[in-house]
Amino acid sequence: MTNGGDWKRVAARGDITPGEVFATELDGEPIALTELDGQIYAFNDTCTHEFALLSQGFLEGEEIECPLHQARFDVRTGVCLMGPASQDIDTYEVKVEGSDVLVKRK
Amino acid sequence: MFLKNYWYVAAIDHEVGRTPLRRIICNEPVVLYRLEDGTPVGLEDRCAHRHLPLSMGKLQGDILQCLYHGLCFDKTGACVKVPGQDTVPPSARVKAYPIVERYHWLWIWMGDPALADPAAITDFHWLDDPAWGAATRYLHAKANWQLIVDNLLDLTHLAFVHTSTIGNAALVNAKVKVERSPNDVKVTRWTIDAPAPPTFVKAGGFTSNVDRWQIIHFTPPSFVRLDVGATPTGTGAPEGRRVGGISMRNLNAMTPETETTTHYFYGQAHDFDVKNAETTAMIMNQITTAFLEDQAIFEAQQKNMLLTPNAPQIDINADNGVIQARRILERLAQEEVTGRLTAAAE
Repeated sequence: MTNGGDWKRVAARGDITPGEVFATELDGEPIALTELDGQIYAFNDTCTHEFALLSQGFLEGEEIECPLHQARFDVRTGVCLMGPASQDIDTYEVKVEGSDVLVKRK
Repeated sequence: MFLKNYWYVAAIDHEVGRTPLRRIICNEPVVLYRLEDGTPVGLEDRCAHRHLPLSMGKLQGDILQCLYHGLCFDKTGACVKVPGQDTVPPSARVKAYPIVERYHWLWIWMGDPALADPAAITDFHWLDDPAWGAATRYLHAKANWQLIVDNLLDLTHLAFVHTSTIGNAALVNAKVKVERSPNDVKVTRWTIDAPAPPTFVKAGGFTSNVDRWQIIHFTPPSFVRLDVGATPTGTGAPEGRRVGGISMRNLNAMTPETETTTHYFYGQAHDFDVKNAETTAMIMNQITTAFLEDQAIFEAQQKNMLLTPNAPQIDINADNGVIQARRILERLAQEEVTGRLTAAAE
């Protein structure tokens, strides 16, 4: 992937609420979105450890915990905070246009 | 692993009467019987003298007499008579367990009796609530109790194991949400606009697609209560309006017998046709058919696990609820160990 991608609509603004994780796809790849302190964050939904869907896990503040083996990631930066995963997850640029939420690869 | 400071189900009420009943619970032999006034009693099922099960003896009034040498024990477990001698050794006593009769079940406290608070008994009121029709049965399972908890917390298996009763293919793609708190796991599954499974067609008379819910509550150590039902699709059940359909409660209490065997008490309550014993029996028979299929599964798992106890397993997305429950149980087990060590140190 070079120099990011195109902006793509992935959700309606109303789909995304604080404390909840909205799961969707970007070019067929599972991604997830959430709202934190008024800002929307988009991140790759697949745990880098054993491929569980993070959106089925547990959001606590800015951290999301994998439902299966308790790896933790910062949803704002994608940084892996706790094993057993060791790789970070991708995050995406987000913008809101009217009632649409668009994301773009970084 | 057993958690001790909890109420467990020891028996269904009608199982216990004036003939002593032996039941091993958490590796401890227990004898259950009723006093002449009907009060249930649970004692250690091992005579203080030469360890014969007291359940082989008989009741004389409210006194349980050992078959072997005739030692007599009262409801507190104290030996009150040794035939052929005038004195009773002061240490001649067996353990007495706190017992409470509630929801058609006899509950036993396996831990420190000083901590036995009947208010802590898990709510199974549907089994004796006049607003519900209900029945309860017992299965002896040759499998560790946690395998049964796992089975109830992941209902994707219904689509594969129970296709003649409560399952169908539609369940695989149910929308699942797992919520957890320190001592509770809730798994909510919705199957929207899908055919009703055979048991639901029988019980609810559905002729078209339904919205089906399965809301599973896990409470430590081993209670799994399910709120299940269906309404004609599009009538608003996901938003909380349950009209024109059926609701049931599937109620499960797994009592460890040993590390590899379990007393499995299950019940089913229904909110329709509540006074009709035939409806209750029909539903109970359907559930029993399904649970015997489950029994074959977890007994076969247990056999394999005994061959190679620590063979690795993989986890799949559907395991979320199972994994959260197991984490709670591991923490509570650790806390009981720590609690015992602290108490011992004081």
